[in-house]
Amino acid sequence: MSTVDGPRQQLEFLQGTLEVLILRSLQLGPNHAYGISQFLEQQSDQEFLVENGSLYPALQRLLQRAWIAGQWKTSPRGRRAKYYRLTPLGRKQLVAAASKWRRFVEAMARILAPEG
Amino acid sequence: MWTWLARLRGVLAPSPDLAEELREEMEAHIDLAVDENIGDGMSPHVARLAARRRFGNPTLTAERARQAWSFAAVENTLQDLRFAWRGLFRSPGFSLVVVLTLALGIGANTAVFSVVDAVLLKPLPYPRGERLVRLAESSQKSEGFSVTWLNYQNWRRDNHSFDEMAAYEWRHATLTGRGEPSLLRAGVVTSQFFPLLGMRPVLGRLFVEADDRPGAPNTVVLSTRFWTDKLGRDPNVLNATLTLDGKSYQIIGVASSTLEFLFGTPLDFYFPLAPFHNGELKRSEHGSIRVLGRLKPGVSLTAAKADVDAIMQRLALADPGPENEHRAEVAFLIELRTRSIRATLLILMGAVSLVLAIACANVASLVLVRSSARTREFAIRAAIGAGRSRLVRQLLAESILLSVLGGLASLLLLRWCLRLLIAIGPRDIPRLSETAIDSRVLLFVGLIALLTGLLVGLAPVFSTRKLDLVTSLNESSRGTTQARSGQSFRNALLVVEIAVTMMLVFASGLLIRSLMVAENSSPGFAPEHLLALELILPSSSYHSDGAIQRFYDGLSQDLRALPGVDSVGMVTCPPFSGGCGDWFYSVSGHPVPAQGDVPVAFVTRAAPGYLQTMRIPLKEGRDFTDADRATSPDVAIVNEVFAREWWPKQSAVGQRIKYGGPYLEGPTLEIIGVAGDVSQIGLDVPAGPEMYLPFGQQPSSAMVVMIRASGDPERLNAMVRRRVVQADRNLPIQSLQAFEKTIAGTLARRRFSTLLLALFAALAVALAVVGVYGLLGYWVSVREKDIAIRVALGARPSAILRWVGAQALRLTAAGIACGTLAAWAAARWMEALVFGISARNIATFLIAAAGLASLTLVAAALPIWRAMRVDPVRNLRDA
Repeated sequence: MSTVDGPRQQLEFLQGTLEVLILRSLQLGPNHAYGISQFLEQQSDQEFLVENGSLYPALQRLLQRAWIAGQWKTSPRGRRAKYYRLTPLGRKQLVAAASKWRRFVEAMARILAPEG
Repeated sequence: MWTWLARLRGVLAPSPDLAEELREEMEAHIDLAVDENIGDGMSPHVARLAARRRFGNPTLTAERARQAWSFAAVENTLQDLRFAWRGLFRSPGFSLVVVLTLALGIGANTAVFSVVDAVLLKPLPYPRGERLVRLAESSQKSEGFSVTWLNYQNWRRDNHSFDEMAAYEWRHATLTGRGEPSLLRAGVVTSQFFPLLGMRPVLGRLFVEADDRPGAPNTVVLSTRFWTDKLGRDPNVLNATLTLDGKSYQIIGVASSTLEFLFGTPLDFYFPLAPFHNGELKRSEHGSIRVLGRLKPGVSLTAAKADVDAIMQRLALADPGPENEHRAEVAFLIELRTRSIRATLLILMGAVSLVLAIACANVASLVLVRSSARTREFAIRAAIGAGRSRLVRQLLAESILLSVLGGLASLLLLRWCLRLLIAIGPRDIPRLSETAIDSRVLLFVGLIALLTGLLVGLAPVFSTRKLDLVTSLNESSRGTTQARSGQSFRNALLVVEIAVTMMLVFASGLLIRSLMVAENSSPGFAPEHLLALELILPSSSYHSDGAIQRFYDGLSQDLRALPGVDSVGMVTCPPFSGGCGDWFYSVSGHPVPAQGDVPVAFVTRAAPGYLQTMRIPLKEGRDFTDADRATSPDVAIVNEVFAREWWPKQSAVGQRIKYGGPYLEGPTLEIIGVAGDVSQIGLDVPAGPEMYLPFGQQPSSAMVVMIRASGDPERLNAMVRRRVVQADRNLPIQSLQAFEKTIAGTLARRRFSTLLLALFAALAVALAVVGVYGLLGYWVSVREKDIAIRVALGARPSAILRWVGAQALRLTAAGIACGTLAAWAAARWMEALVFGISARNIATFLIAAAGLASLTLVAAALPIWRAMRVDPVRNLRDA
């Protein structure tokens, strides 16, 4: 667990959420690990802190399940990096997982919502 | 499933590229971040630093990523073990001490366990031997009565608890017509006996139900031993006949050999039981029948007893008699067999596991010292990415590896230990010789080694709650906080160690003193110069009491006339023979006891001159004389225990007792003398009440003729033999040897258990001394600087002595105090083995405490001496 300077502590990922978010980020197009973490932090308004110690194992697990595939490419700025893209299997998983999480979040919100 | 397969592939064929690729990927990751940081306006140097900091620990990240492809646990364990194996050789001294200590502890435990396993735990080698029970009759007062033939038949017919039951007894029979006449031992059994013990015919057939019926022809089944030794395995013996006790018996088969401990003696052949008892019509007509039964699956011993008791209650109403209150006594065969040795073995097992506990404490203490010396190593490993759980696993791997090596080393010791145990063990411990290193023993070693490793390995984990990275790294190499917090745990270990040692030393002291008491206790007779001649007259040639008496009277006169013979006396059961059983009696002039409260006493039949020949003192009254005959008034001599019990204030001579008690037939006897006490069981068992009856009034065909010689008794052997042949050419001699040889084994068990316990106590003391030395030595070595400062500030060596000595004294005193309390509480477990002194013998406590205290202080001397020699100049300059 790490902390950053600032009044707000960043959020950790719940079990299983990081994989879904990686799939979601790749829906927009292939990306490398650094890009994925930047995307997740920016999209969450810096609420999420993506630790590489979690990100890399998650990527390996996704590769293992063949939900994503990796390929070395050159970045627009001329750096070589490993780009990940969604496989058709991963796309199906994303749809299923996204709807599951949406229901989960709505249910949580209903319960936590202030009365009245 | 898919994931699992991928992992399997990862383990079986690990991709060599994965690590390399991950490294490249992470470098690219950092480069991308650097680019962006520079874009944000940082200098290249600062940009790289920031990117690296942001990235975190690349090694740990790579390892975790790789783990996604592997069975991490297996791989980590292998790695831990490889690392632990290398670690062993980094500090060979430490490893050697630990392995040896554990080998001793585990080896001793396994040796005792293998004995316990062979003697107490392994099922008997009979079909479903664990469910075999022996049944006898019991009254409220006493147990172990034989079962009457009628009762047995009722039990067998009406019970719901047993698969099968068989009745058995043993008797002598004289074989004639085949060379020298010989007295043979016969098992007398019902037909169900053989299948119960899994015995098969080697030749011919065994008994069937028809052989139990009245009028069945006389048949006999040979034992394999007799068939082999006496008949040379002649296959033509079937249908031949044997003349036994003058009757002709047809040989119908040869039975496979089996453990014959039921009879207490090796057997020559088997008779069918029923013909001997079919005439018995009363439920109180006792022979010597015992009953063997196999419990139905799931039926408990208690339930089986209740079942048979119910039958007895019903019979008491239907067929009342003098034994209406008799019930069943039911015991597992294996427990019956080991009853006398059980307590001893369990105490030894307890003692030896305490030794292992001490060994563990010593090793744990060593491991703690080593782990505080390795604090920096752990801190560094944590810094480069080892998680806390990984470090704990590493510690465990090291200690388990050590304990497994200790276990293996103990196996080498074990072979030797077992051979020694079997060699010095008393012969009468059943199945002791079957002790061997088998799969159960190996399993035990494995389990105990693993357990030891876990316990020892967790010691550093318990002693230091957290591994504080920064403090450890910053701390000077001679850590203070870490070392101190470990110290209190080690102090506690040492106190426990001394306490346990105290218990063992005390227990062994009790046994040693008991043995001394037993060895020095007077047997009550003079065993030197005695020759014992054992004879049994066959009923076939000695039909009447008169014939028996004439034979023995004539023989004793012949023997008395021999040169070198001082005196001759005959008895049914000489001392330490286990006694010839006890019988009821009641005392005239005392209230009639209730049926369940009739007292019993040992009954020994003796001829005139027996007491004098044995040198058993006659305290009062007179000995038997030849005038005490069947026609004269019935008389008895009692021993002192008997006399004191009933007539503590007056003389027993002239008092009257009723033989058989108020409820059984028997003569009224006048007490004519009081003899000194002699134990019938052994030197370490006090004498019980005993009555001697005159041979002239209560003859017996089996007698031991005691001959007191003026010199070496065995020089008379040849002459004695000749006299017996002259008296009856057909009479076999049961045994003829110096009486001292017969009784030599009486303390063998006590010597055995005393020796073993003393050995364990010595081992414990040695370990405790090493423990004290090691702990105090370490205590001094981490305080060298403190001591140097004190000396520099003017402390004299005597002050240092007081300071360090006080530490040693505190620990020793605490340990001995705890040990004394624990020993006091546990003393009652020892009562079964203690003889002649109290199990809470104060003197033994004091000696044990003083001995242990002085030994630990000797162990403390060297570290104290080192503390006093600390050189302040060198120590403080080096700092």
